[in-house]
Amino acid sequence: MSPEPEQPLSRRSTIAGAVVPAALLLLGGCAGALRRETRSAEPEIPARRGGSAIRSDGTRVFRNHRLVDQDGRTVRFQEDLVEGRVFAATFQYAKCNGICRDMTEKMRAASELLGGSMGNPIRFYMFSLAEDSPEDMKAYMQAHGLYGKPGWRFVSGPRDAITDIRWAFGFGEPDEELDQKLSAHTGMVRYCHHATDKWAACPALGDPRSIALLMLRCFPCDQRPRIEALEGAFAQGGTPMPGYKPIAPVAPPSDA
Amino acid sequence: MRRASHAFGHSVSRRSFVKGSALATGAFFINSRNSLAVLREDPTSPFTTPWMQPLRFPNYATPLPSWQPLDGPPVDPQAHQHFEQFQPEYLYDYTLCAAYARPHPQLGFSLLSTFCGCMPGPTFMMRYGKPALVRMKNCMPNSIPNFGSPETTTHVHNGHHGSESDGTPFYQLQPGSFRDMHYVNAMAGFTMTAGGDPLEAKHTLWYHDHCLDFTSQNVYRGLAGFFLLFDDKDSGNENDPNPDAFRLPSGVPDGKRVKNRFDIPLMLIDMRFDQNGVQTMDTSNMDGHLGDKYTVNGLVQPYFEVERRKYRFRILDAGPSRFYDIWLSNGMEFQHIGNDGNLLPAPITTNHVKLGVAERADIVVDFSQLPASTTEIYLVNRAEQTNGRGPTGNTLPMDTAPKLMKIIVRKGSVQDNSRVPETLMPLPARDLPVAQERNWHFGRSNGMWVVNGNVVDINRCDAAIQRNTAEIWNISTAGGWAHPVHIHLEEYQILSYNGQPVTGTSLGGRKDVFALYPGDQMRIYMKIRDWVGRYVMHCHNVVHEDHAMMIRWDIVP
Repeated sequence: MSPEPEQPLSRRSTIAGAVVPAALLLLGGCAGALRRETRSAEPEIPARRGGSAIRSDGTRVFRNHRLVDQDGRTVRFQEDLVEGRVFAATFQYAKCNGICRDMTEKMRAASELLGGSMGNPIRFYMFSLAEDSPEDMKAYMQAHGLYGKPGWRFVSGPRDAITDIRWAFGFGEPDEELDQKLSAHTGMVRYCHHATDKWAACPALGDPRSIALLMLRCFPCDQRPRIEALEGAFAQGGTPMPGYKPIAPVAPPSDA
Repeated sequence: MRRASHAFGHSVSRRSFVKGSALATGAFFINSRNSLAVLREDPTSPFTTPWMQPLRFPNYATPLPSWQPLDGPPVDPQAHQHFEQFQPEYLYDYTLCAAYARPHPQLGFSLLSTFCGCMPGPTFMMRYGKPALVRMKNCMPNSIPNFGSPETTTHVHNGHHGSESDGTPFYQLQPGSFRDMHYVNAMAGFTMTAGGDPLEAKHTLWYHDHCLDFTSQNVYRGLAGFFLLFDDKDSGNENDPNPDAFRLPSGVPDGKRVKNRFDIPLMLIDMRFDQNGVQTMDTSNMDGHLGDKYTVNGLVQPYFEVERRKYRFRILDAGPSRFYDIWLSNGMEFQHIGNDGNLLPAPITTNHVKLGVAERADIVVDFSQLPASTTEIYLVNRAEQTNGRGPTGNTLPMDTAPKLMKIIVRKGSVQDNSRVPETLMPLPARDLPVAQERNWHFGRSNGMWVVNGNVVDINRCDAAIQRNTAEIWNISTAGGWAHPVHIHLEEYQILSYNGQPVTGTSLGGRKDVFALYPGDQMRIYMKIRDWVGRYVMHCHNVVHEDHAMMIRWDIVP
């Protein structure tokens, strides 16, 4: 998938840009529709905090929160950050004296392992938990050498909106007081390949090589480049099978 | 109206599967009901009529007579510890592949990940003293829809195998590659005593995917099966002339061969389906996934016909996150004979067994004790659980508890040569001196699962243990989640649970997974023998496991 421009895209052009190779699309649509219908109404997102819905093509849709990034640009969550993208998302804030610095350093190291070979198709998002201003977010990124790095964005918005996103990513706490406690905020990173609805998460305080490798695994196996720096991060345990072709699943009988 | 289900719960032979696949190349199933449908998150599964279909069983895994493969690269003995001592007698040619299946006639077809095209995977019928080699070939597509990963690694749960064959998350098998797994089928301690310690025999194991970050998703979508081990005592023959044989109810069903089979594996997985009847999973839920449909051997609420005699049921909680309190609906008692695949020192008469994820219970139910008027009873789950964090601790009333399986009791008496001895397997002696005592605390910090305050790092060894020594581990939990803690390679004996001894209880046998509730503490004795290499300990609420509630421990020479 070719890198996308940084400017916010219209939803229609975003969808067009998100068309993926035919084989992947077929496989991604196996359990759902393959025909891309004219997009009419989006599915209804449940009213609860963190709600999301799955479209008929298997992709996920969230509430399209209005956010702002480190350069003061308006960013729409679904349209500009999620739709058709591959991303890793963490939650932190500019004035954090806790785990944020370590998280950022680990994620930066992971992104550097991935970035050179892949043309930066993976986005790295930091969501502000403290309604940080663009100036504060920019300063934070500059302090960590991330400002201007392709694919990196620090975004902020109303606390309710960020909470909704955080919950949608599975990082909510059932205890409301704990959930809103800044010093106890999550150290997990959510990674996602939106077009195939592949979601996973891992600690952002882990080994950057492991983080990077696990992010690669959101991609279909045949679209994943080999990155020399990650060879041996953990053993790839198989011997190639000569002449291998995947076994296509046998189509079940149609209903009578 | 009954409809024939397709390939669910019974195996498709490799030959027919491959042939069918060739014909279907390029033809992907399109479920027309999905074309304009909107799928809801966390859906309530569609209604299904219970007891529509008979319980089904996978075929036995079929071995080839030589451990060298018929095609492909030869086996490399150098890749396996103790290969010369345990040269395999058989080779199993195993294929991981995607297959459509329908767990109930009123549901849609779901694309599963399977071993050899069936779910549960083929049953390994192994014997101690008969080493085997399994060539695991990943023939999955490069991408699978929604949840799950086509990369896999296959772990025999409770297996005493070399690290290179343990299927730990360190070794990911990508599509288009294979890995040879060497199963020595030897009693633990074989490097210390010739033949190992016979008291270490274990019988009801299972195998499943162990892919880092995706275990819950991959097991949930089908990558699990039974691995049964037999020896001279638990011989699998209730007519065994050997006076040392236990003669427990025997005969594991082999696919459609179910007649005169009285040793019944039951794999429990709770699932959820969208409004089109397709299997679904909320992968953003880090507490754990609960389904609202109970499946037994991959089928939603099947029925099973029994004769009026004894049956052995090997019940496995295959997750992803549900706990069970298994009863028979008439409250009848049965014999609890095995824990996590190990026969207890003596049977325990009880009317229920509790299971956390990955725990097993072997029970013997004597249906001849039922009154003639009783023709049907149900296997029920009375553990109340409302979310993936764990059970509430409440016991549901019998009449409203979810029913997992209907048991239809046939009329008339039949001959029954099986028995349940008064004593089974004594505990192995704790005769290895304790070299070290360690503490492991399973907790949570900043939304991350931690052990001793650390997040997982599979490149970091958290404990280096000298081979052929013993240790005492103190394992504890905190917070609001239940954690079934599992240790690879070795079984342990519980010395105390929350400070109390466990002798004489169902916890008094060997264990390899133990459900710890918030604030629990467990003190265990464990021997670490025979192999060197990397292993793991982790929470077996597989959703927690996927979000890194795990440590790595190594055995060093």
